[in-house]
Amino acid sequence: MTKLVPITKILLTAGTAVWALVLSRPEGLAVLMAAELLLLLAAGQLLKNAKAVVMLGVFAFFLGLIEYAGGGPVRECIVAALRMMDMTLLFIYLLGTTRLQDLTASMVQQMKIPYEYAFMFTAGLRFIPDFIEENRAVAEAQACRGLAMEGNFFKKVHRYMSIVRPLMLRSLSRSETMALSLELRGFGGGHRTFMDSVAPKGMDYVCFALIALVTAGVIYGRLALGL
Amino acid sequence: MLTLKQVSFHYGKDGPEILRDVDLSFGRGEFVAVTGRNGSGKTTITRLLTGLEKPTAGQVLYDGQDVTQEDAAARSRFIGYVFQQPDRQMFMSTVWEEVGFGPYQQGKRGAELDAVVDEAMKRADVYRFADAYPRTLSRGDQQRIAIASALAMHTEYIVLDEPTSGQDGREKKRLSALMAQMKDAGITVILVTHDMDIVAGECTRVVVIADHRVAFDGVPEKLFSEGRPEAWGLACPASVRLGRSLPGAPYCKDMAAFCEMYRKAREGQ
Repeated sequence: MTKLVPITKILLTAGTAVWALVLSRPEGLAVLMAAELLLLLAAGQLLKNAKAVVMLGVFAFFLGLIEYAGGGPVRECIVAALRMMDMTLLFIYLLGTTRLQDLTASMVQQMKIPYEYAFMFTAGLRFIPDFIEENRAVAEAQACRGLAMEGNFFKKVHRYMSIVRPLMLRSLSRSETMALSLELRGFGGGHRTFMDSVAPKGMDYVCFALIALVTAGVIYGRLALGL
Repeated sequence: MLTLKQVSFHYGKDGPEILRDVDLSFGRGEFVAVTGRNGSGKTTITRLLTGLEKPTAGQVLYDGQDVTQEDAAARSRFIGYVFQQPDRQMFMSTVWEEVGFGPYQQGKRGAELDAVVDEAMKRADVYRFADAYPRTLSRGDQQRIAIASALAMHTEYIVLDEPTSGQDGREKKRLSALMAQMKDAGITVILVTHDMDIVAGECTRVVVIADHRVAFDGVPEKLFSEGRPEAWGLACPASVRLGRSLPGAPYCKDMAAFCEMYRKAREGQ
């Protein structure tokens, strides 16, 4: 599963999102979620990203809870939570098994997205771990000045502002440095050799066919059988 | 007295061992350099002292009281930390407000707050920047603002992580003078550094971390005269090396001392 080219993984991720939107019964959505978890396990990403999976689960639970608090029936709340899980779980597989450079190449070559936009998207993804690390460093610096994250929710939010402000300022300065570094290294040039390795192969075409078949099947199931 | 007692540390559950059974104490008014190769664990020592990390074994004691489980915010009542990149902590719109953030967290208000902030800014020689936006100042000025922020909290111990790296000679001298002034005022200065000129010229004690342990703990003169600094990846300062070439091979802690010894040697000839 990890050897598939990025466009196959993108299509699979998009495909599962479509299936999750089309399916309307909790049973079908639960089966889809189980299949996605199995896929993550087979790709060696489930245990590696257990924390992210749990976080998604917690988020989905709260989504369902909010819907329930808004007066939604229990069944609809479960559907909303499962749908959220189904639509997002495979992003872990996509991002965990694909090099960002290959993802950019695939977006440019096969999806015909302009290179600058594709690069911006993948650079944004790359920024997340940097941002988390920066957040930790700023929080430590403020803790050494006596800033304790204690008290009620509002107090915590207020105190967190003294972490958010330097974090944002440093991130802005960092993105400026990154832009400079890109320009100095010829960003926007012509042929990019790293884009030559993302063409689909035999197994990818099999996956394309399977995704198309399952999509057709899910739509038929929904329209004809009310799945 | 701030003490690490039989402290061991490793990052994560199965991470590599960083420190093993370290015993180390810092008394009041010392100017201690903590040095060693990159990755030897010297910054980890200071992170353990400030509460940014918790030891996997052993205790951290402050005046005999166990503070191992206290976090960094709680320990800020007696220890401050000036990071290598001081802009990480700066977010207020003026230097005055920036320096005042710590004492404000401690509950100081009004005239009391004004007095401690003004005094700390004067001691760190940043008073003229009181209304300036901190992030637009030079790194050297930001370092001194960060030091003023710690001084305003009436800290007893201050950790400075590589404060002189990337600074020009003038700024290094100003920082050295400020650190010496803090030491004279009874504050313990713990300096993480690779700058052997400062270690030899300014520090009263040097701690070398190597092979997960304290490899050397003593006065700089002993390190550079009897120790084996090169084996721990430390360069001997030029003044010390030059001093060895003089008659009697005197220990010259800085270039001023070397010049004095050289003059005496010339007069004696």
